[in-house]
Amino acid sequence: MNVSAPFALLGMGARRFTEGLGGWGNLVLDILRHLRFVKIWGPLVLGQMSRIGVNSLPIALFIAVFTGIVLALQASYTFTGAIPLYFVGVLVAKTMMLELGPVLTGLALSGRVGANISAEIGTMRVTEQIDALETLAYPPVAYLVIPRVLAGIFMFPLVTALAIALGILAGWWTSLNLLDLSTPEFVLGARLFFLPFDVTFALIKATSFGFVVTTVGCFFGFRTRGGAEGVGRSTTGAVVVSSMAILVLDAFWAVLLL
Amino acid sequence: MSIQIENLHKAFGAKQVLRGFSVEARDGETLVILGHSGSGKSVTIKHVVGLLYPDAGRVVVDGQVVGDLKGEALATLRRQVGYVFQFAALFDSMTVAENVGMGLRRMPEISKKERRERVEECLTLVGLADMMDRMPSELSGGQRKRAGIARAIATRPRYLLYDEPTTGLDPVTRAVIDRLINQMKETLGVTGIVITHDMESAFRVADRLAMLYEGRCLFEGEPEAFRQAEQPVVRAFIEGRPELMEGWNE
Repeated sequence: MNVSAPFALLGMGARRFTEGLGGWGNLVLDILRHLRFVKIWGPLVLGQMSRIGVNSLPIALFIAVFTGIVLALQASYTFTGAIPLYFVGVLVAKTMMLELGPVLTGLALSGRVGANISAEIGTMRVTEQIDALETLAYPPVAYLVIPRVLAGIFMFPLVTALAIALGILAGWWTSLNLLDLSTPEFVLGARLFFLPFDVTFALIKATSFGFVVTTVGCFFGFRTRGGAEGVGRSTTGAVVVSSMAILVLDAFWAVLLL
Repeated sequence: MSIQIENLHKAFGAKQVLRGFSVEARDGETLVILGHSGSGKSVTIKHVVGLLYPDAGRVVVDGQVVGDLKGEALATLRRQVGYVFQFAALFDSMTVAENVGMGLRRMPEISKKERRERVEECLTLVGLADMMDRMPSELSGGQRKRAGIARAIATRPRYLLYDEPTTGLDPVTRAVIDRLINQMKETLGVTGIVITHDMESAFRVADRLAMLYEGRCLFEGEPEAFRQAEQPVVRAFIEGRPELMEGWNE
């Protein structure tokens, strides 16, 4: 094997990464430039909010419920009598709010929403529907991207907030029914280290996840080439990249704000 | 009023598609651009509406250089140029009527009532008045093309570009589409550019023909002159005999 081959691969990877990042950055700038076309994107935002937010609730809440149950049981198992059992409330509430609520919801929605956006726009690209929009004097970014991105920015925090609430409720229900814990004890634990900033932190993360998942989905959709296979490639790429971006952003916000 | 394509060059990566293609569509005529599959016909007309930009050369529509237009000026030009896509490119989440009305929604001077009437009028013109509420997936290939034409004419453009309008259709539907193209010219007075490799269809609709070969204009003239042309490539195209072309081998 040629000794330079690994370096060539590394270089190619770095080039593709920077090209992708540059393309995504250009899309973000395009979004800002096209915000003035309110008449085009304005009427479409509500519909996208319903598709991105309301339709994603079942999967997000399903994940939250089971996460809450498992968190309560694992906390109780870990404490093994060394720590007062009402700390189950601390662990469930804090973990759901600061980490698992936003991140698991973000990851679930990156699969559902990111894939959906990428496949839809990608199909429009390969069937010339995006070209058709342009010939009818619609800027595609205003018509296709802005409503989805705004819907993501508004709906991800909302879905995340509901998921956190339901996750904590599931942890409470588990504590009452499967652990030897009363409601006042669980609430005592849940409120013990609660800071209002925790909610802000969760919502900031969820908003940034909403922005990233929708913009990455649109970006991959727009650069789709080559028929059904290309649409499949874009969809996979959108889910993988937005999932990775969520984890990077998760660490970024923790470093910056905690 | 005309569309002038002047010395157009376009490459995609290492593949040089257009190498100085020039042709003019004159006021009120239907110009047919012929060429083999992959010869750059679609690439050429995409330059007319600013879907692609040339590496060199220019496209001039009504005295305006398309490549120089941005924003609202480009949108205004696009309203003057209807584009009929090869596979219709109908928006699959909308009904036929919504598809046809899309361009009109970008024209604030047209009221909702006028829009509804215009959509009906355009669909009647292409014979799809009873299919307004159908989804594109419920239409046949020929109906989709007709719906595409209705959408393209809804904004009352001065020019119509047809990207392989008869490809993939049966002979009867092809004849129907060709009649429709002629009808658009006669009733609406539009200047048309039709790109195709369907010779029968080309002779039915063309006022003039141009042949795109190896990125350049090999022939430009009236249908009769095209029929009489002696260039081997033209003859091979008309007669469907590739062996007439120099350097051809099976």
